[in-house]
Amino acid sequence: MSRGSSSRLPRKRPSGRKALLATLMLLVAVASAFPLVWMVLSSLKTPAESMQVPPVWIPHTPSLDAYEKVSGVVNVGRSMWNSLVIASITTAGILITSMMAGYAFAKYHFPAKSLLFSLLIATMFLPPIVTLIPLYRLVGSIGLNASLAGIIVPNLANAFGIFLMRQFISGVPDDLIDAARMDGASELLILFKIVAPSVAPAIAALALFAFVYHWNSYLWPLTVLQGNADAYPIVISLSRLLSYNRGAVNTGLVMAGATLAVLPPLILFVLLQRFFVDSIVGSAIKG
Amino acid sequence: MSFAWTSKLALAAGLAILPATAWAQSVNISYLTHWSPETVALLEAAAKDYAKANPDVSVTVRAVPFGDLLTTLRSQGGNADGPTIGGIYDLWLPELARDKLVAPAPDAVASEVKASWPAGVTSAASVGGTLYGIPNEIDVYALNYNKALFKQAGIAAPPKTWDEFKDAAKKLTNKEAGQQGFGMINSWAAGVVHPFASLLVSNGGELVKDGTPVLDSQQAAQTFQLYEDLIKSGASVPAMATADANTTGPFLDNFVSGKTGMIIMANWWESALKTGMGDKFADIATAPIPVGPSGDKPHSISYSWMTVVNANAGAAEQKAAWEFLAWLNNPKSGKNGASAMSDILMSMGILPSRLSDIEAHKEKLGSEFLSGYVSVLADAKPFPVVPGGQEFSESLQQTLEALQYGQVSAKDAQATAQADATSILERAAK
Amino acid sequence: MIQRYRASAGIMLTPAVTLIGIFILLPMMLTVWLSFQDWSTQTPFSSASFVGLDNFREIFGASSVGRDFKGALTNTAIYTALSVILILPLSVAFGLMVYQHDVAGGTALRTVLFSTYMVPMIAVALAWSKLYSPSEGPLNQMLGLIGIGPQPFLSSPRSALVSIVLLNVWQQVGYFTVLAIAGLTQIPGSLYEAAKLDGANRFEQFRFITLPLMRRTLLFSAVIAIINAVQVFEPVALITQGGPVGSTNVLTYHIRRVGIERAQGGLGSAMAVMLMLSLIVVVCALFALANRKDQE
Repeated sequence: MSRGSSSRLPRKRPSGRKALLATLMLLVAVASAFPLVWMVLSSLKTPAESMQVPPVWIPHTPSLDAYEKVSGVVNVGRSMWNSLVIASITTAGILITSMMAGYAFAKYHFPAKSLLFSLLIATMFLPPIVTLIPLYRLVGSIGLNASLAGIIVPNLANAFGIFLMRQFISGVPDDLIDAARMDGASELLILFKIVAPSVAPAIAALALFAFVYHWNSYLWPLTVLQGNADAYPIVISLSRLLSYNRGAVNTGLVMAGATLAVLPPLILFVLLQRFFVDSIVGSAIKG
Repeated sequence: MSFAWTSKLALAAGLAILPATAWAQSVNISYLTHWSPETVALLEAAAKDYAKANPDVSVTVRAVPFGDLLTTLRSQGGNADGPTIGGIYDLWLPELARDKLVAPAPDAVASEVKASWPAGVTSAASVGGTLYGIPNEIDVYALNYNKALFKQAGIAAPPKTWDEFKDAAKKLTNKEAGQQGFGMINSWAAGVVHPFASLLVSNGGELVKDGTPVLDSQQAAQTFQLYEDLIKSGASVPAMATADANTTGPFLDNFVSGKTGMIIMANWWESALKTGMGDKFADIATAPIPVGPSGDKPHSISYSWMTVVNANAGAAEQKAAWEFLAWLNNPKSGKNGASAMSDILMSMGILPSRLSDIEAHKEKLGSEFLSGYVSVLADAKPFPVVPGGQEFSESLQQTLEALQYGQVSAKDAQATAQADATSILERAAK
Repeated sequence: MIQRYRASAGIMLTPAVTLIGIFILLPMMLTVWLSFQDWSTQTPFSSASFVGLDNFREIFGASSVGRDFKGALTNTAIYTALSVILILPLSVAFGLMVYQHDVAGGTALRTVLFSTYMVPMIAVALAWSKLYSPSEGPLNQMLGLIGIGPQPFLSSPRSALVSIVLLNVWQQVGYFTVLAIAGLTQIPGSLYEAAKLDGANRFEQFRFITLPLMRRTLLFSAVIAIINAVQVFEPVALITQGGPVGSTNVLTYHIRRVGIERAQGGLGSAMAVMLMLSLIVVVCALFALANRKDQE
């Protein structure tokens, strides 16, 4: 975070106000964390505890039974693997296509450039439901229904990535690129060997965004997979848990599944949040 | 598109050079269902049994939540990669058959079904005289009540008429204890419409007659009025009636935890009640639907499920699918003269419809909970199977929910329901 | 030389442009085309037949199709408006909390707030459905402690949509907080110093410096919040199914039900087109409003 001392808010104020502010901040943090904490706590409760009225907050004898049971109901390993495959390949695709297109928009002059750019950027604001009906018909007609490829292929490029890459690649000095051209380097080589390293933080941020977004995505996989459980990502397997034994006493089970699905993106975020936040700040300022 | 074609060509070329014996092993069929994972495990076990005698066929099971089942069946349209076999609700059949998504049953299957199933069930699995699948489960609605709550309220026997029904509902209501007399259901089309329809047919009415909706009848007016009375008197609380996408939720929780005195539900929820209630399940009993002022005797609404075969699947897959289904529903595949299918269904408390299966499971069907359902089966009327039936059902659901929440009067609800049903069924018939 | 780079530009752009063209722009045009057709979603595009404006007439008509669509449009509008109205002020307030230097823990607060945005919506929906549970849920228990009676939350048509808005605000506010922080970093500190010399109090500083200079950020946030809000699907699909009495039937859920479940591809596409038009109108209006303010 670039937070120069000159841009700080005024410092002097009574300490009563500080105490109030600290309390408020604590309250906001607690309210924000509460649902997820409740989810984890519920996953450790016994079935009887989760049905109890009034609700039990801290399980008396925390047990991991629910986690064990989840893997008996849905194939957790397989689903996690599917999610990993979907998120990783999609992310790799987005990185490559976005860097290439972003480079073209940042460093080349060609006819109708700003028109093409606006057209691509406009798709960023298009809610996926608008194209859902023809898209799944289209994906079906090229034989990709009910498969991981059907989830992945339509998402291999997106406008946000192109936008972000253009923003950051614009900042790479032309001299650097020209020098490499003098040495006879090909454009692709320049992009991946010279330009990419100098925008590495932005690439990292885009990678994390794309990964988390596609790990979490639900509507498209649900529509295109048509019940092919072998290809279910973890978020869809999770919705299957609700129907386990047609309901009844399965709160712990559902919460255990939810906890498992939440962990990978959350861990990634906590480890690498610096990039996430900087890139949002960066794209908002420069945009 | 050309890419897909090229890859398919390459695949075809690759297959062509394989020795002929490899061909024999390659029939893969898939079976789409909404069953819970533990029931799916039973189906997978049956498929494994089948594979012992038929090593050339492998059956995989795909499962989706009930709320996604129709969507999934729909979206397989025109697509050979879709599931080969689907378990469907008979209400969906006319449109699936119209759009040629499901294949007519081969003659051998058709003649066996006609000989071994009750005529009503066979006709619900047919469109224009052509049989499209093998029926398996039959569901029927009846009144479930909590004997412990009845005893507390001093009610000796389950209500037989609507007057007794309203009276019992009032006595069972205890606002302070958060207890309602009669539980309605909302947010789930069949859960809203079927109990209403059961009361309607027990009042001598019908939803649809000869393809046209008849919700403008006097009998229907009385049924809408009954709903309004129950809501207005506070004997039924809509906020306790919600269902989620898996047909569970507060309506079930409230009955399980003894907050609901009576409810009209289908036999299949036995397993949910048992899991939720444990020993207290013994408090639950089943009775026929109370008879309305214009009705002659208790009737119920029934509906059936069947398995169909994807008309777009390859010829070899379709053939293998029908053979597997014929085996699965045959008296030799299960225990003691029952079919493997009926054993799976009975594990969930679901009534099988094949005559020999009913015979084979006689003992379990005689249980206190299920016998109440078996006894009303004879006088049950099948839910009308017409094109647009699902949309009709969803629009009636909206109207009934508005009535439940006091947004419309019984009279307006009746008018809206009839007008909507008329336009939906007319459009679907085009 | 120029020629060479033109070819390179072609190579660089081809993958992204082809993919976006086939999987976003083409389907978008198909949606518009299909909205004038009678088409069953199970059949090939070639089986569509032109019906003029019939689909639009029907979705705005008096039949159940029209009522359901108009209800979904209204619900989506309410949902979107409420989300934006709640998210923007909260994001500024939380942004100020993170950005100030008087009390430690700003960065930790940012981490907690933003982490909810990283979590799959489906897990959020499941967790909140249990929080909202009328008797076994902790929310009613806590309300009871401060003397408020049990709320029906998702079980009443009066509160179900608002309950889903709250869940959405909870999940997204962290993202918008970070956007707000980005806006705050753009405001030169010298402005505050000058204002202080003029004797402006904290509220006046906020009202006359922070807020006006945050306008671009807030506009950007509002647009993103609107686009995000119309996409709500998981909590409705999994928990309320649009009920009770259609009170949570929002467009993303309804269009999928009509266009895919009922296979009424023409009607569903007409609804999608209306959604797209509404979004364009709302976003343009927002920009026009912001521009007028800029000129003032």
